[in-house]
Amino acid sequence: MNQEQGYKQKILIADDSEMNRAILTDMLENEYHIIEAEDGMQTLAALQTYGTEISLVLLDIVMPKLDGFGVLKVMNQRHWIEDIPVIMISSESSASHIDRAFEMGITDFISRPFDATIVHRRVVNTILLYAKQKKLVSLVADQICEKEQQNTLMINILSHIVEFRNGESGLHVLHIHILTELLLKQLIQITDRYPLSHSDISLISTASALHDIGKISIPSEILNKPGRLTDEEFTVMKTHSMRGAVMLDELPIHKNEPLVKTAYEICRWHHERYDGRGYPDGLKGDEIPISAQIVALADVYDALTSERVYKKAFSHETAVRMILDGQCGAFNPLLMQCLRETEMTLQEELANNDRPAYANQIDMETIVEEMMRHEELASSERSLQLLEHERMKYNFFAAMSNEIQFEYIETPSMVTLSSWGAEKLGLPETIMDPHHDSRILAIFNEETLQDFSRAIRSTTPADPVIQYDCQAMLDGTSRWFRVISRATWSSDETPQYLGAIGKAVDIHEARLRFNSLLEKTKDGSDAKP
Amino acid sequence: MNLKECYAALEGDYEDVIARLRSERLVQKFVLKFLNDPSYDLLNRSLENADYGEAFRAAHTIKGVCQNLSFTKLYHSSQLLTEALRAGWSQEAAQLVPQLTADYQQTISAIRTFQEEMG
Repeated sequence: MNQEQGYKQKILIADDSEMNRAILTDMLENEYHIIEAEDGMQTLAALQTYGTEISLVLLDIVMPKLDGFGVLKVMNQRHWIEDIPVIMISSESSASHIDRAFEMGITDFISRPFDATIVHRRVVNTILLYAKQKKLVSLVADQICEKEQQNTLMINILSHIVEFRNGESGLHVLHIHILTELLLKQLIQITDRYPLSHSDISLISTASALHDIGKISIPSEILNKPGRLTDEEFTVMKTHSMRGAVMLDELPIHKNEPLVKTAYEICRWHHERYDGRGYPDGLKGDEIPISAQIVALADVYDALTSERVYKKAFSHETAVRMILDGQCGAFNPLLMQCLRETEMTLQEELANNDRPAYANQIDMETIVEEMMRHEELASSERSLQLLEHERMKYNFFAAMSNEIQFEYIETPSMVTLSSWGAEKLGLPETIMDPHHDSRILAIFNEETLQDFSRAIRSTTPADPVIQYDCQAMLDGTSRWFRVISRATWSSDETPQYLGAIGKAVDIHEARLRFNSLLEKTKDGSDAKP
Repeated sequence: MNLKECYAALEGDYEDVIARLRSERLVQKFVLKFLNDPSYDLLNRSLENADYGEAFRAAHTIKGVCQNLSFTKLYHSSQLLTEALRAGWSQEAAQLVPQLTADYQQTISAIRTFQEEMG
């Protein structure tokens, strides 16, 4: 069942007793690929190396160097515990131990002496459960993705039809969407007068695309007339807002959907004015729903900055000034403030996004935001695959490069070397507590290590890279190396030093040539009087 | 001497281990493996070096292995020593070491006899 094309899922067995590991291995090795760890540090090293390739950890509590709880603590810090299930196996069966272990995220606790069948069954169940959960998460994510894409697509097609008839660019709907969203986000920053949730904003922005659907019933002679409209024609033109609203209200089904209700407000009232002199209903102030107020402002701004049959495009600055001066209608002072405050980003966003890709980007942002709201989706299969991909890429390039590459992590102190680098230095690929490791100290002396450590720690997140030349003992001879390393800092307010990545290059010959040149120059200058 | 008699000689629970591990082959394999388990030597060494943290872990490991293999008698003495060492060295712990040593010798000699008679 777990063997697909010879691929076995990996189980990490962490127990300091070889006997205990052997018993578990014997029970599971037919179906699973077993990785063993003798202590807490080896366990972390294996987790670091294999990541989510490990389907399950069987974890003992009492182990040297770092015990099972220490391992769980790090697994929590690095969020591994969210993706890698842990079953704790221990003879420490006191309630406090068990409670603590469950609080730290283990999936199951098996007491010694264990029953082979029970262990086997629980292992299989846990792995299946996690596999199912991962599958479900990715299924949900795919469905959200598909649903959002189709919704937006349908709305975009519909509004494009309206615009097509109108002879407009097709970007109008997109612009209104962007402007509406920007202005709303700014609005909730400056006031809590309108209780708008994240999903309200998304709803209003989506519904904004439908604001002009009523124009479909305006005769095209009027709609596309190049010159000024007569009073009579203008009266007809003005009916588009109410006609759009009626269309939505007469929908046989769905008319109570929030999207339709919001679109109704926008269609009907996006030509109202804050001073009550707009149409069709002459609503005043906050009698006009905030959705319609926002879209009205966005509509005016975009109309001003776009070219139309009857006018050229105004510049962004001119348009904003005209609106703020009250030349283009009357708006809520709070919205004027939003316009002023978003002025910079607004222009940038619109300029950046006048391309078809943006439509997808909106979808993606919506999906990402949707997923952020569901905590359980935060580390979906997608991101795991990305991580796996990065790990694979990193390993591949590291193997190809013939360079000594390293990655150092501060807690728990651990260094990982590229396989070529490890071989070159005659060291294992993973070394715990490198500052006190005799094999490392035999290559780089203690002083060098401390000096390097000081140098890398005195970097800043803005300037994290150092170049450091030092000598290393290789095969009994001392050679010059140049280490180029980048510190990793946390994104906390006070950045924490997390470790460093980098590579060491043998510069011995180059350094000797340089030194001898230096010598010659010195000799030369000495020779001259 | 068969495996069941070996368990009787070391005062373990043969029925229990077979019921849990489900296979005589498996039990026999690990019983023989017990001869090479380094935990007892580690325990003695760490007691000599007064490294009581290490001694605690070694006693704990012996206890765990005995539990898995249903070596009941040795399990009890290793359990007592483990608990005595949990808080560091004590007079009580000192008194428990000879019992554990005796039980360990009894266990090892039973397994050796079993191994020799198997040929």
